[in-house]
Amino acid sequence: MAQGQAGGTPPSDAASHQGDAAPAPVFRPPRQPFLEVLGSLTQRRTVVLGVAGVIIFFAVWEVAHYTTPEEKQRFLPAVEQVVAEIAYLFAEKNFIADVGTSLYRIYASFFVASLIAVPLGVFMGCFVKARALISPTTGGWRYLPAASFAPLLLVWFGPTDFAKMALLFLGCFFFLVALILDNTLAVQRELIESGLTMGAKRRQVVGITFRAAAPAILDSMRNMIAVAWTYLVIAEIIVATDGIGAVMMRAARFLHVDIMMGGILTIGVLGVLTDISFRIASRLLFPYLRVRR
Amino acid sequence: MAVFGLGRTAAAQTGANAPVPGTPPLRANRVTKSYLKGSVIALDDVSFDVHANQVTAMIGPSGCGKTTMLRLMAGLEYPSRGDVTMFGQPIMGPGPERGMVFQAYTSFPWLTTRANIEYGLKLQGLAKAERRERAEHFLELVHLEGFANAYPAELSGGMKQRVSIARTLAQNPALLLLDEPFGALDAQVTWEMEEMIIEIIERENKTVVVVTHDIQEAIYLADRIIFYTRQPGRIKADLPMAFKEGRRFRKKEEMLVHPGYVDMERRLYAMMREEIRGRVS
Repeated sequence: MAQGQAGGTPPSDAASHQGDAAPAPVFRPPRQPFLEVLGSLTQRRTVVLGVAGVIIFFAVWEVAHYTTPEEKQRFLPAVEQVVAEIAYLFAEKNFIADVGTSLYRIYASFFVASLIAVPLGVFMGCFVKARALISPTTGGWRYLPAASFAPLLLVWFGPTDFAKMALLFLGCFFFLVALILDNTLAVQRELIESGLTMGAKRRQVVGITFRAAAPAILDSMRNMIAVAWTYLVIAEIIVATDGIGAVMMRAARFLHVDIMMGGILTIGVLGVLTDISFRIASRLLFPYLRVRR
Repeated sequence: MAVFGLGRTAAAQTGANAPVPGTPPLRANRVTKSYLKGSVIALDDVSFDVHANQVTAMIGPSGCGKTTMLRLMAGLEYPSRGDVTMFGQPIMGPGPERGMVFQAYTSFPWLTTRANIEYGLKLQGLAKAERRERAEHFLELVHLEGFANAYPAELSGGMKQRVSIARTLAQNPALLLLDEPFGALDAQVTWEMEEMIIEIIERENKTVVVVTHDIQEAIYLADRIIFYTRQPGRIKADLPMAFKEGRRFRKKEEMLVHPGYVDMERRLYAMMREEIRGRVS
C-alpha cells in the first residue's frame, strides 16, 4: 500500500491508494555518514568492521617493524615472526603445559573469588545492616594495591601455587564484591515489593533479587576476569617456574623479544576466548533477555 | 472504635489472622505519616473505612499522600501515628491477602506469563495441578491465553500489566490494591484496561482500593472517591458515586454521557484547582 504520493501535486484530501495506481517510488534517505549519530548496523557489517579493526592493528604493527632500522628490528619482531615463535613454543617447548597452568590459576582463583563474592555482594545488596557492617571494609580493600602483596604472600606461603592464586584472588575479589553489590542495588525496588505482597519470605526475596541481578552479575564477572589476567602475569613474573608469565620472564633474560610478545599475544587470544565464553554462557543462562516483541 | 496503638499481638503479625467480627476490610485509624524527622507530613490524622466489595478510589494533587496511604495498606510502610487495620487486626507487614499491582512492570522477566501467575501460588504451597488450573483461569480472565509461554519482554506494556493483575488475583486476595496501575500505558490501552478491571471486579467480587491521578478514571472505576488535600494530606472530600445507582458501567462511553458523571467531573476538577492554586507542582 502506498503511503501518500511522492512528487507531483500533493493529495488534496487524505487518501490511501489501493491497487488503483503503481506503487510510489522508493524513498531514498540521505546518505549516512560513517560517524552517524544513533546509527544502525547489520550484524554482518558489525563483524566486518570488527575484523577490519583487528587487521588495521596488525598492519600498523607490521609497518612499525619494517620501518625500524634493521639492527633494531629484533626488538620489534614482525607479526609473522611472533606467530611462528608461538607455533614453535607449542610444538617444541611444551608451551601448552604453561598455558594450561596459567589457565588453571586464573580460573580456579576466579572461581573461588566469585564463589564468595557473589553471595556476599547479593547479601549486602539485600540487607542494609549487613551492607553497613561489611561494605566499608571490602570497599576500602580495593585501594590496597594487590601487586604490593606479592612479596608478602611470597614470605607467607613461599613460591607455591597457593601464593600466586592468593594474589589473583586479592586482585579481583574486592572489586567483584563492589560490582555485584551495585548490580544487586540496581534491582528495581517494585520487583522486590511485589514479591513481598505476594507473600515471599526473606529467603525468597533474596532469590528474587539474585535472579533479577544475575545477568548484570555475570557481566561484572566477565569484566573482572580480564583484570585477573593482569595479576596472573605479575604473579608469574615474580616467582614462577611455569606458566605463561614465567616463560616470558625467562625470555626477557635473553632478550628474546619474540617470545615475550608471543606470550602477550597468547594471553590476548585467551582473554578474548574467555570473554566470548562468558557471552555464550549469558545467552544460555538468560534466554529471556534475547526475546523481543 | 478500637485503638490498636499498643499491644499488637504475634497473632496479628500476618494481618490475616483472627478477623474481628463486624470490622471493615480496611480501616485507617487516625493515621499520620511523616518523613524526614517530621518535617514532611504526607498524611495528617486520616481516618476512614474501606467498605467490602466496593471500589474506593483515592485521588488528589501530586504529593498528597494517596500512594503513601496505599503503601500503608499494603504493609510496605508503617504509619508514624495511628494504625491501619484489616478486619480489625493492625497491618504488620505485606502479605498475599492484600494483593498489590504497581505502576512499574513487576512481572519477573525470567518467568513466562504462566510461571509468573503460578509464582505466588507456589509460595502458598499449592500443588502443581492446582497451580496450573488456577493459572489457566486467570490467564483467561485477563485475555492472555495465547501468551502463556511468552516472557515479559515479548509482551506490550498493557499485557505486562495484565500479567501483574492476573498474578495478584490468582492468590485470591481479600483486598486488591492498585497503585496507578495504568499510569505507564497509553490512553487507548488504559481505557481497555479500565473496562477489563470493571469486568474482573464484577466477576470476582473484590474489595478494591485504587490510587490514580486521573479524574475520569477515578469516576469510572470507583463506587466512592476519597479526595486528599496537598501536603499535609488530609481528606478533603469523601464522595459516593451516587449517580451510578449501585451499578457499574461496562463501557466507558456509557458513563461519559451521564449527567451525573459530568457533574462529578466538574466538581472534582474544581477541587483539584483549589488544591493546586498558587503552587507550582
